[in-house]
Amino acid sequence: MATLTPEAPEAPRSTSGRHPVPPRPAPHPHVVATWAIFIGLLAMCVWSAYDLGINPVTIFERLANGVDFLSRLVPPEFPEPGRLIELTLTTLAIVFLATLFSVVTSVPIAIFAAVNTTTGMVSRQTARIIMIFCRAAPDLVFAIILIRVFGPANGALIGIIAMGLSSIGMVGKLLADNIEDVNRGPSEAIQAAGGARWQWIHSTVIPQILPQIIAHGLHRMDINLRNSVLLGFVGVPGIGAALSTAMNTRQWQLVMGLAIIITVLCIFMELLSGAIRTQLMGRDGSGRRRGILGVIDRIAHNNWVTAPTETHQVQRTRNGAVRTSPQWDAGRIQRFFGWLVLIGLVVAAVWDIQINWQVLTNTVTNFPEVVSRFFPPDGRGLYWDRFFPALVETVQIGFASLLLGLFIALPIGAMAARNVAPTPGIAKFFRIVIVVCRAFPELVLAIILVVILGFNATAGVLALAFGSIGLLSKLVADSLEESDTRVQDAVRASGANRLQTFFAATVRQTAPATIAHILYQLDVNIRAATLLGVLGLGIGFDLLEASTRNRYDILSLIILNILAVVVVLELISMYVRKVVR
Amino acid sequence: MAQSMMATDASFTSSEERSIQLRNVTKQFGEVTALNDINIDFAPQKINVLLGLSGSGKSTLLRHINGLHKPTSGEVVTLGTEVHRAGARKLRMLRREVGMIFQHFHLVESMSVLENVCTGKLGSLGGPRLGLFMYPKEVKEQAMEQLARVGLADKAFNRADALSGGQMQRVAIARALIQEPKVLLADEPVAALDPVSSATVMNLIGKIAKEDNLTVVCSLHQVELALEFSDRIIGLRGGELVMDRDASTLSLKEAHEIYSAVAVVTDEEIEQQVPELAGITTEQQS
Ligand SMILES: Nc1ncnc2c1ncn2[C@@H]1O[C@H](COP(=O)(O)OP(=O)(O)OP(=O)(O)O)[C@@H](O)[C@H]1O
Ligand SMILES: [Mg+2]
Repeated sequence: MATLTPEAPEAPRSTSGRHPVPPRPAPHPHVVATWAIFIGLLAMCVWSAYDLGINPVTIFERLANGVDFLSRLVPPEFPEPGRLIELTLTTLAIVFLATLFSVVTSVPIAIFAAVNTTTGMVSRQTARIIMIFCRAAPDLVFAIILIRVFGPANGALIGIIAMGLSSIGMVGKLLADNIEDVNRGPSEAIQAAGGARWQWIHSTVIPQILPQIIAHGLHRMDINLRNSVLLGFVGVPGIGAALSTAMNTRQWQLVMGLAIIITVLCIFMELLSGAIRTQLMGRDGSGRRRGILGVIDRIAHNNWVTAPTETHQVQRTRNGAVRTSPQWDAGRIQRFFGWLVLIGLVVAAVWDIQINWQVLTNTVTNFPEVVSRFFPPDGRGLYWDRFFPALVETVQIGFASLLLGLFIALPIGAMAARNVAPTPGIAKFFRIVIVVCRAFPELVLAIILVVILGFNATAGVLALAFGSIGLLSKLVADSLEESDTRVQDAVRASGANRLQTFFAATVRQTAPATIAHILYQLDVNIRAATLLGVLGLGIGFDLLEASTRNRYDILSLIILNILAVVVVLELISMYVRKVVR
Repeated sequence: MAQSMMATDASFTSSEERSIQLRNVTKQFGEVTALNDINIDFAPQKINVLLGLSGSGKSTLLRHINGLHKPTSGEVVTLGTEVHRAGARKLRMLRREVGMIFQHFHLVESMSVLENVCTGKLGSLGGPRLGLFMYPKEVKEQAMEQLARVGLADKAFNRADALSGGQMQRVAIARALIQEPKVLLADEPVAALDPVSSATVMNLIGKIAKEDNLTVVCSLHQVELALEFSDRIIGLRGGELVMDRDASTLSLKEAHEIYSAVAVVTDEEIEQQVPELAGITTEQQS
C-alpha cells in the first residue's frame, strides 16, 4: 500500500517505474542471532513446562486437592517469647552486619572499578572481575563453601561473610555507576590545590555518593533479610535455622508461625528503610526538614541555637573561642545520634552473634588444607545419573516459572501502568497488588506450596512464578510509564483504539527494556531454583547433601556446574541487551 | 628575535623576577591545537587578564600553569618549578602554592561551607579526611578567618548548595586562600554570575590580590571588567597570542576595538567549530 503513495518516504524516488524498488536489506546477523536466542529461550520455556508436567489444569486440580493439607498449617504455632526474641535478634544482627560488611567492602571496590577514580587499567579490570564473580555465585554457595572452611561453630560469621560477599556484586556495580556520574569539578579543584588521589576521593567523591550508599545499603538490607532465611538451612543461626528444623521435623504449625514472623519482619524492614530514607533526605519545598528532625530544628532555633549574623567577623562560641564545629541544630543532632546508633548497633550485633574466636583461629590456620580438599572436582560416578539430571531439572524450573510468571506478570504490569490501565483506579489497585507481592517473601510462599503440593517441581515453579510478579510487573509497569506518551497520542489521534495503541506504540517502545527485564528475571529465577534445593528440589538438594556429608569433591563439581549455568545466562543476556536497544 | 632569546635566558636564571613563564608552549588535543607556540611571562604581584572567545585556549593556558595539563611541546616554569617535567609529588608541592577558582565554583554541594574551605588545605595535610571533625583545629580556625575575609562567616555551617552563585564563588575563593598561595588562577570566575555578583567577586579578587601580594591570572569575557581590574590584558585567539597590553595605557574605546578585532569570527572559524552554522551566516550576509 505505502509504496504506491507518492508521498510515502519509502516510495522509490524514480517516477518512471523503470528502476525496481530496492530489495529489503538483509537483516543484520546480530538481529538474526537475537531472534534465534529468543525462539530458543521460548522453546526452552515450553519444553521445560511440558517436561515437568506443568499445565494449568493439573495445577488447579492439585491445588484443589492439596488445600486440605493447609489445615496442617493452622493454627500457627510460635516459639516461646524469649526464644522468639533471641531468634529475631540473631537474624537482624547477622543481616545488619552483612549489609554493613558489603557496603564497606563495596565502596573501595567501586572506587577501583569506576573510570574516574581508578588507579589504572589493571586495578579497574580486577575490581570488575571481583564484582562479576560475586554476582555470579549465590550467597548459598558462598555459605556452603565457608561452612566447610570455618566449621559450623561460626554459623553467624559465615552468614555475614556469605551475604556480604554476594552483595558486593550488585552494590559495587551500582556504586561504580554512581561514582562515574558524580560532578567531577570538585575533585579537580582539590587536585588543583595539591590534594592526592585518596584525599580528593574522600573529600569530594564519597560525600557526593553518600546518599546512594545509604540507599543501596537499605535496599540490600531488605534483600539480605530474605536471603538470611534460606541460609538458615545450611546452618546460619536465626529464624531461618529454626524454620529449617521445623520443616525437617515436619512441625507444620511451627513452620507457619515462623513464616508469619518472617513476613512481618520483611514488612517491618521495608517500612523502616522507607522511614530512614525520608528522615535523611526529606526536606519540603522551602528546604525545611520534615518529621521529627523538623520539630527538633524549630525547637533548637528558638532556644540554644543562635543564628549568626556577622558576615565579616569569625563566629565565636560563648567563651570567645573561634567556632569550629556547628551548633547543636537538627543536622548535628542527627549526625551525632546517627553515628551513635550505628556504632551501638554494630557493638550490639557483634556481641549478639558471639563469634567463636578459638575455632575461628584454628580454622584459619588450616585454611589451605581445607581448600585443597575441594580439588579436583569429582562426581564419584554419579554425575550423569544424578547430578546432571538434577541440574537440568533446576534449569527447567527456572524456565517454566518464567513462562508462567510472564503470563501473570505482564498483564498485571500493564494494568499497573497509569498510561495503559483503563482507569487510574485500576492502575492503583494493581500497584498495590505488586507491593503486596513484593513484601511477601518467596521462600514462605514456596514452603506453603510445598506443604500443599508435596516436594515436587510444580511447587517450585509456582512459587517462583508468583515471585516474579513482585519484580517483573513492577519493572514492566515502570518502563511503560516512562515510555514517550507523545507517540501514543499520535497513534491514538490517527484513530487507533486503545488496544491497537498499546501494541503499536507502547509495546514497541518499551520492548527493549521489557526484554532486558525478562532476561534479568530468568537469571533471578534460575538462581532461585538452585536455592529451592533447601526444600529438596533439583541440584540445590544435592549441593546440601554433599555439604552435610563432607563430600568436598562433589561439592566443588556441583558449584562449578551452577556457576557455568549462571555465567552462560549472563553472557546471553549481556549480548542480547547490547543488540536490542 | 635575539632580544627575546636573551629574555628567555634571563628568565630562567632569575625566577624571582617572573613567577610564571611559558616558553614555546604548544598543546594538541588530538587534531585540535588548543595552544600554538605561546611565549609569555607573568610578573609577580600583578593582575593579568586573558581575553578571548570560547575555544580560544584560555582555560588550556591556565591549566598549564599548575600542571593540570602538560604541554605537547615547550616549557612551563611556575614559581621555579619546571611543570612540564614535574612528577606527581613535585606537582602537588607546587599546587599548594597555586590557588585556582573555576567558572562553576566546584564546591561539594552536600558539604558544609567551612569543610569546603578546609579541603583547600588538603595539599599540605597528610592523609584523607572524611568529615569536618577530622581536620586539625588550626585549619578550621583558618578556614573561618578566610570566610570572614570573603564576608561569609555567617554561612560557615550552611550546606554549600544553600548559597547563591556569587556566594559560592566567594567560598571557592576562601578555599583557594586557605592554601596561602602565591599565585591565583581564575578561570572565568564570573561567567556564571549576574552583574552585581560579578562586580562583588571581581572586587574581592582585586582587594585580596593587593593584600596578599598575589600574582593573578584570570580569564574573562567582559572587556569592561578586564580594564577595571587588571594591570595587563592578554588576548588569545585560536590558541595564539594576539594582544598583550598594559591596561593603564588602554582606553575603554580602544580596548573594545581591539577586543572586537580579536573577537570577530571568520567564516572559516565557524566552519571549524560548528559546520552547520557556516551556511547560515553567509546566507544572511548575502
Ligand atoms: N580535554 C580536552 N580534550 C580535547 N579537546 C580539548 C580539551 N580541552 C580543550 N580542548 C579544545 O581546546 C580548545 C581550547 O579550549 P579551551 O577550553 O582552552 O578554550 P576557552 O578559551 O577556555 O573557551 P571557553 O571560553 O569556552 O571556556 C577548544 O577547541 C577545545 O575544544
Ligand atoms: Mg574555558
